Amino acid sequence: MTDAAAGRAGSGELAARQAELVAALVAGGPVPPGFAPAPLAAARAALLRKRAGDVARHWPLLAAGLGADWPATFQTWAGDRPTGGSLRDGWDLARALRDRGDLPPLGADELAAREAGARYDGQRPPRPRRLPGLGRAGGAVAVQLLGRVRLLRPARRPATGPGGRR
Amino acid sequence: MTGPTGVGIGWRPEIAGFVADLPGLRFVEVVAESLAPARALPAGLAQLRERGVTVVPHGVRLSLGGAEPVDPARVAHLAAVAELVDAPLVSEHIAFVRAGGMEAGHLLPLPRSRAAVDAVCANVARAQAELPVPIALEPIAALFDWPDDELDEAQFLTEILDRTGALLLLDVANVYANARNRGTDPRDLLDRLPLERIGYVHVAGGAEHAGFYHDTHTDPMPPAVLDLVGELCARRRPPALLLERDGDYPPAPALRAELDALAAAADFPVVT
Repeated sequence: MTDAAAGRAGSGELAARQAELVAALVAGGPVPPGFAPAPLAAARAALLRKRAGDVARHWPLLAAGLGADWPATFQTWAGDRPTGGSLRDGWDLARALRDRGDLPPLGADELAAREAGARYDGQRPPRPRRLPGLGRAGGAVAVQLLGRVRLLRPARRPATGPGGRR
Repeated sequence: MTGPTGVGIGWRPEIAGFVADLPGLRFVEVVAESLAPARALPAGLAQLRERGVTVVPHGVRLSLGGAEPVDPARVAHLAAVAELVDAPLVSEHIAFVRAGGMEAGHLLPLPRSRAAVDAVCANVARAQAELPVPIALEPIAALFDWPDDELDEAQFLTEILDRTGALLLLDVANVYANARNRGTDPRDLLDRLPLERIGYVHVAGGAEHAGFYHDTHTDPMPPAVLDLVGELCARRRPPALLLERDGDYPPAPALRAELDALAAAADFPVVT
């Protein structure tokens, strides 16, 4: 084998091993051969914590609505899902929570506003709507006109009794 | 514009007001991917430029250590940002951040192998061909190592610097984190790196979490990291020290105290 051919073989092997490692860290892939499991698990957990913080900055109401449950909710959902970027991660999670009835009202308000403002098919990056748009989530309704989004009706808040909110 | 000198701080929108009020500041760093060359600079950064403060673009998503060729569009963006802020140099990491079509979301370590050295050097050469200014390369903090390293860290880094002619951006907090997590002495690496190649130095805070020291950039700078800055300066004082803070911003006096401590450790002018 020539040096150039050896170089190509080396880079092909490196590419495959880097892909295996990333899959283990962000997509629920197996620990690649030879790696110590505990440090890799620590790295995986650190990546998820960082990602949860990044998504919370893009979806502040969703994160605030979940409060103390935010880190665990996000990390459970994201554990074997590679990131599509913070905007899409939060969007996908908000839709998943909506579909199973777990989207808090603040998150519903935020999701409705985002749906009104941009078209997102879940596969490709969201694109701003050029025509007027309507977004609904969990009872929240938002409209977008000429690029400005308004929340017409907020999501239903849980009933508060004499003892205050549960 | 002159190269970075003295004590600097990573410019972030959240602390733009704090940074603007540092009277002696001569140097900041900005995350290259946070700027859009087609648009005007953020006002805070533009004002620093008017004051003659050196601005160094710091890339975080080039993935110079990826086995695939570096994305020309990302290199072009870094080059455009360097022109925009009239930078004397730019910096990036010896790391990869994506592979197999997936984003890792953070800087990942390379195997310390000949094949990885070849991959990094090829990508650095591709970047250097398009960049208007020199590049400084930063060794990262990593919680794990690859199983089959052929080179130790000093050999790996020195080989890359020699072959690329790049400057070294030494992150003292990363040196500390790696040594602590591996159970080695961080001073050994300082003794073996080409310290005369340092363009500037990073310093940051971190915290222990579940048995590992994490270079978080969101915690206070530990005394041991400051001590290591002293160890570095005793060997060879770098031209500049830059404090990185990326969240959980403390009250201004706490941040000023960290900048003052760095100035004292390196005998640089106080910037606060």
